[in-house]
Order: sequence, then C-alpha cells, then structure tokens
Amino acid sequence: MKGEFSMQSVRTLFKLDLLARFGSTHKRGVKYRIAQYSNYLFFAAIYAILVYGIYYLTRMFAGDGGLRIEFLTIAAFITIIVATAISTGTVIKNLYQNGDNELLLRFPVSGKEILVAKTIYCYLHNLIVCALLMLPFYMSFGAVTNAQVGDYFAYIGITLLSTFLPFFIANIIAVPVMKLMNAVKNKFLLVLILTIAAICGIFAFYLTSLTTFLNYMRREGETLISSGTIYHFRQFANAAYPFRFYAELINGKLYGGLSSGQLALRFLYIFLINAALGVAAYFVTIKEYYKTILYGIETEKASFHKTVEDKQRKAPWALFRREFYLILRSFNYSFQYFAMACAAPLMVLFCNRLAATMGTESLGAKIMPGLMLMVIIIFVTIVVSFASTSISREGNCFYHTKIIPVTYTTQVLVKFALYAVVATISVALCCIVSGAYYTSDAGGHVLSALDVGCIFIISEILVISLTCLYMLIDIKSPTFNVSGDGELVSANKNIALAMIVGISVAVLYGLFAMLFSFIPLKVGEWQISSIGGDMGNIYLILAIVSLVLLGASLSALFVNLNKNYQKIVP
Amino acid sequence: MLTIKNLKKTYPKSDRVAVDDISFELRPGEIFGFLGQNGAGKSTTIKCLTGILPFDSGTIEVCGYDIVKEPIKAKMQMGYVPDNHSVYEKLTGREYVNYVADLYKVSTELRQQRLERFAKLFRLEYAIDRQIKSYSHGMKQKICIIAALIHEPKLWVLDEPMMGLDPQSTAEIIAHMREHCAKGNTVFFSSHNLDLVKKLCHRVAIVNDGKLIDLFDLAGNEENKANLEERFFRITGTYDRRLFEDYVAQESEDMRPELPVEEKQEEIGDEQDKTEEKKQSAVKAAVERVRNSVRNKKGGRQ
Repeated sequence: MKGEFSMQSVRTLFKLDLLARFGSTHKRGVKYRIAQYSNYLFFAAIYAILVYGIYYLTRMFAGDGGLRIEFLTIAAFITIIVATAISTGTVIKNLYQNGDNELLLRFPVSGKEILVAKTIYCYLHNLIVCALLMLPFYMSFGAVTNAQVGDYFAYIGITLLSTFLPFFIANIIAVPVMKLMNAVKNKFLLVLILTIAAICGIFAFYLTSLTTFLNYMRREGETLISSGTIYHFRQFANAAYPFRFYAELINGKLYGGLSSGQLALRFLYIFLINAALGVAAYFVTIKEYYKTILYGIETEKASFHKTVEDKQRKAPWALFRREFYLILRSFNYSFQYFAMACAAPLMVLFCNRLAATMGTESLGAKIMPGLMLMVIIIFVTIVVSFASTSISREGNCFYHTKIIPVTYTTQVLVKFALYAVVATISVALCCIVSGAYYTSDAGGHVLSALDVGCIFIISEILVISLTCLYMLIDIKSPTFNVSGDGELVSANKNIALAMIVGISVAVLYGLFAMLFSFIPLKVGEWQISSIGGDMGNIYLILAIVSLVLLGASLSALFVNLNKNYQKIVP
Repeated sequence: MLTIKNLKKTYPKSDRVAVDDISFELRPGEIFGFLGQNGAGKSTTIKCLTGILPFDSGTIEVCGYDIVKEPIKAKMQMGYVPDNHSVYEKLTGREYVNYVADLYKVSTELRQQRLERFAKLFRLEYAIDRQIKSYSHGMKQKICIIAALIHEPKLWVLDEPMMGLDPQSTAEIIAHMREHCAKGNTVFFSSHNLDLVKKLCHRVAIVNDGKLIDLFDLAGNEENKANLEERFFRITGTYDRRLFEDYVAQESEDMRPELPVEEKQEEIGDEQDKTEEKKQSAVKAAVERVRNSVRNKKGGRQ
C-alpha cells in the first residue's frame, strides 16, 4: 500500500481520472454538442444573474450602507462555509466512496500515488468552486469602492489563499460526515424530514433575500438597512474569526482600514491557522484513507435491515406498497417527489406573498385568486411531473411488470392512485396554508373561503388530469436508462416535456383568471366578468375546462392501455 | 404443460427474424433444455412465452391457457427466473418474496413454510431481511429463484440460470429442479452448459438463427447423450474438428499444459553467471519438452 512514490504515476492517474470524468476527446454528434453548449449557456446565464445579484448586494451594504468590513466578513463566512460543504462532498465522493480505488489498486501503483492524484483533483475542484463563489463578491467590492488595478490582483491572491481553509477542513471532517451519513442513510423517514426542512429553510431564505433585494431595487436611494440590522451585522463581524481576517485583507487600507503591519499580522494569523489545519488534514487523511480503502468503512454496517411479517395482502395493495417503498428508499426519488410535495405549501405561500407584493400594488387585490391558482398549479405540476417516469423508473425490473399475473390496467391504476393521493395532499395543503394566510388579517383578507375552495377544486382536477397525461407520455416513450443501483441516470426527456406542458397550462389558467378579474368579458348575453364583479363565472369556466381535460386524459391513458403497454419492450 | 406453435418474432426496426416458426411441446414432469449460441433466439423465445415480448404470429399455451387471450391465468401457472436477475433492490429479500407471493395470491401459511424452506435450502436465512442492494450476484439469483417458486408454479422457466453461480449454488438449483419435476411440474431452461444439460434434461431442443433445428430425448437414450456436443457444434455451424476435440477433451482429460520441469528452472537460476547462449539453450530444451508432451497427448487422443 504505502510503496514507492513516483510523480509520473501520479500524473498518469490524474490524467486517467480526468479522462474518466470528462470523457474522451473523440468527436461527438451535433445533437450532443448542441446539448453540451446549451448546458454551458444555461450555466453562464444563471451565473451572470448570481453575479448581478451579488453586485447589487455589495452596493446595498458595502456601498450605500457603509458596512464594508461587515459585508466582507459575512461574504467570506458564507463563501467559505459553502465551499467547505461542497469540498467535503467532493472529498467523500472521490477519496473514500469512489469504487475506482479498488480498480486503481490493481495497477502497479501505490496507495500513496492514488491518494495524491485524487487529492490534486479534489483541490482543483475546490479551487474552481472558491473562485466562482468568492471572486464575484471581491470584484464587486472593488467596483463599488473604486479600487485600484493592483487591488484586483490582491483580491485574486486572497481568493487563492482562501481556498486552503475549506479544503483542509473538508479533509478533516470528511470521514466523520461520511460515517454520519452512513448512520442515517437507511433512516428513510428521518432523511425525508430533514430534506423537507432543508428545502423549506433554503427556499424561505432565498425568497426573503429576494424580497429584500427587490425592495431595495424599487426604492433605491432610501435607507433600507435599519439601525438594528447594522448593530447585528457589526456584532457578527466583530466575532466572526477567522473570516474577519480575510475581510480585513480584502479591505486593505481603504476607508480607515488597517496599517501595513496590522495587515501583515492578519496574513500571519491566516497562514498559521491554515498550516495547523493542513497538518491535521494530512494526518487524518493518511490515517483514514488507507483504512477506508482497505476495509471499506463507507459500506460497513450500512446495509438496510428490516424484519417484516409474512402476511398475505391484496395484489393492488402489494403493488402500492412496493411503489411507495421504492420512492421512499431512494434519496433522489423521495427528494424529487415526497420532499417537494411536502415543501410545496410553504413554497407556494412565499411565492404568493412575493408575487402579491408586486402584483397587487400595480394591478390590485383582484388578481390574487388567479395568482394563487397559477402558483399552486406550477408547484404541484413540478411535483407530479414525477409521474412522467412511472414506467421508466422500473428500469431493469420492467420485465417484472409483464410476467406478473396482474393486468396492466391494475398496475397503472395503482401507480396513478399513489400519484393522485400525493397530488391531492399537496394541493390541499397549499390551499390550506395560503388560504389561511390570505383569509386572515395578516394577509389582508384578499381571499374568501369560497375562493380558496374553488381554487382547490380547479387545481385538483387539473393536476389529476396532468398526472394522467404524464403517465401516458411515459407509457408511449419510456427511457430505461438506469444507473448501477437501478435509479434513472438523470431527468429524462419526459420530465422536461411534463414541466413545459404543466407550466404552460398553469400560466394560461392564471392569466385567464387574473385578466378577467378586472377586464369585463361578455359572451352573447352571458356577462362572464365585470369590473368589481365576483369570480364565480371565471371559476366555473376553469372548472368545466379542467373536467373536460380530465375526461380526455383519463380516456387517453386507459382506453388503449393494454395495446400501448404491450408495445413497451425492455 | 407448454405448447408453442409456429412462433414467429421479428424485432421492430430489424429485418432479421429473431424466432422463426418454432413449435414444440413440454410434458408434465420433465426437465427440458433449450440450447443455442448467443443470439440464436433462446431468450427471445423465453421472453415471448413469459409475456415479456409480444410476437408476430403463432400461439403459446401454458397449461392450456393462451398467453395472449388469457394472460393472467397463463402467468399464474409460471415462475420465471431472468438471466440478469434484476430485482427491486430497494426492498429486502423477504419484502420482495412477500410482494411476489401477494401477486400470486399465496396464503400466509404457505408462503411462511416455503420461504423458510427455500431460505434454508439456498442458505439465505441470514440475508433474507437485508436490502437486496447489498446482495452478491449469486444471492440475487437465489432470491429470484425463491420468488419464482413461492407459488409452486407448474412451469418453471429459467434463462441461463447457472451463469456466475458458485458450484454449491448450482448444485442447490439442480437439486431443486429435480425436486420440482418429481412433483409433476415442468422445468424449461436455456443454457450454454452442454454437460449439465446432458446429465439433467429429459429432452433438449437446439435452436440456430431463430429456427428450431433439432429436438430429441436424452433420458434413456445413450446415443443421443453421447452425440449431444457434436450435434450442437454441427447445428450451430461451429463444428471444427480440432475445436470440438478440445471441447470434448475438457470433459475427459486433464487439459493443463505441463509446467516447465523444476530442475531445468533451477538450472537456469543457478547459471545466472553463465553466458546468454547457455541460458537460451536451457529455455529451448524446456520448451521442447513441453511441446513433445502436448504432441504425445494429442496423438493418444486421435
């Protein structure tokens, strides 16, 4: 294991690793290239929006708010924490959990060479992540504070310096984190609850930040940061070491900053902290890496064990239970489906509040029912788009659905029942949560209980019909592209199609309800909507349309089901 | 038990006929071997008869039930073990078997008895409550077999069941095949193992290029048994005297090439300080001895 060490072997292993990750340099088809460039473009667009947001935040706090050190400390804190989290994941995945350890050890290379090659990859990954996270903050700071050209080079240097802290911490905590993950990974319900809490927390934080940010953009020039906020920022920045050291280095001598001697001292502190962590990371990694790849502790005692009773059940109930367990026991599937379904009510409420703040100011409270209808359908559509992989998810076990003595109709009905139950719960919770808020004093009584009831009925019928449609899409064109553990490799084309259909329908419904809530509409003698009138007729039209859609999608799914299902070849 | 008449199957977007006019019948209580090269049409036939693949023409009846007209009744009589032993890996072994038992309407008492017996037989008691994901290749195969047998099917269909299994597991499966047939049930399996088929099957069918070329008795017919390999090699168009003799020799003779003699190796080791020429001649002598011994063996066989 701890044999000879050759940099030539390390280079070869590193190249091999890169080749395995990013594929060969062979020419690919046009389709592949288009998809690849589209992905790059999408990523660049998202990143540009992020950078723009960071620039505005910097202007808001470091520029207009005058909280330079405080802002930089918080920026250093957030970016280093995020980079540490990402780096920990990378180290666990590449150093300890990657199956290629076993493969690589068959080559005439030593364990040390494999470790060094993999560590180089992990560090480079960390370097890129840190640069992408930190540079927008520091460069924006430079732009807002009119920094000199030399300062920008200093920012790059400090960003490089900042890459070591998350990397060393990640190497130290990787094994305990991995053991913790192994300990909870088979506690499926606990994982689900934690995931829901995390989604809700992140979403709440995101939308609160977005609301503050939008308010700032709309009332530019006004002082939005209260003295209370400034006090808390200062308190945090004064205590947040070692992040403050990085902030002070970035700030340099600007605006009453530190002297050269003090800055050198800060640099020394950072150096010493990093050196101590680096030494600790070295010993932890050397000790744990060999132990892990020799004894495979990442899988030790991690196999799920459950004793169940041998008991006869009806075939549909057995199918229902199997479908439920297969989703619950897969992190990806339970995240996409159960966690999103449970988090949807909170997400809908936040989105409603954000959209209501903007929309009702310009168009009035009358748009609120249409807005809520649209937001609910969009979110629940995202949840039920999971139905568009109902057959594809069978993967290598698809043959099983063909050999069992249960009709295809029953099998599809059982899946449909599960999706319908989840969709109904999700829609009901969305309506209860948002309805409770908007029928209360806090929400300004912009909705009545009748409005909420009508929104529930319309969304429910529509979501059920969309579920049928999504299942039909998958029956017509399943993709059995599964990974090693039997899960779909990535979101397939059916999900994308389902999302496009669902969001389009949601927007159409929402626009129809919103527009005719304040635009009069008359068809013949029937006054459908009027200024200041109620929404009754609008709800009626949408309910009828939804019922027609439901009838059409149900018959499309079930009428030729046997024929369509028989055509599917695994 | 199983009647296949004029079965024909062509895959979509393919000109090649995967199964071409195959007909045969399986009797109660027999073990039937299905032979053919890779791509000959064995798995396609099995997939058609289990209901996995639709077919273009012909009929398949399982215990008198047409797989197309009465699929549920036909499937109820069958247990199938696939070649890739794909199972729902997120379930535990017991959950999976119970799930299958529910679909085949096996009562609580019967499934308890059978599961306990099979788990013991296949040495899976310690793993039956563990997630299938953690099972080895052989264990997955065993859980597939238990699930296929939990309803005691009249027709047990196995697609290359011994692939990748350890000798102990193979012996367990063979023993259970015999036990299953002794109860009047039928076993139908595809295999590449001619020796196993020769020893185990009552009858055998050989397919090539989607066509059923030969079907004959093995039970009580020593001539057919003795000729199985040659017939298979000839039918599949791979008959080559040297290749065939080598294959047959595997069964009867020790095929290991002789190792270079120890003393010669020692000689070479001791003479490290001698000239390169001397080393070469020593190696040549050793190689010549091996050649001679192989030649003698082949001569004896002919």
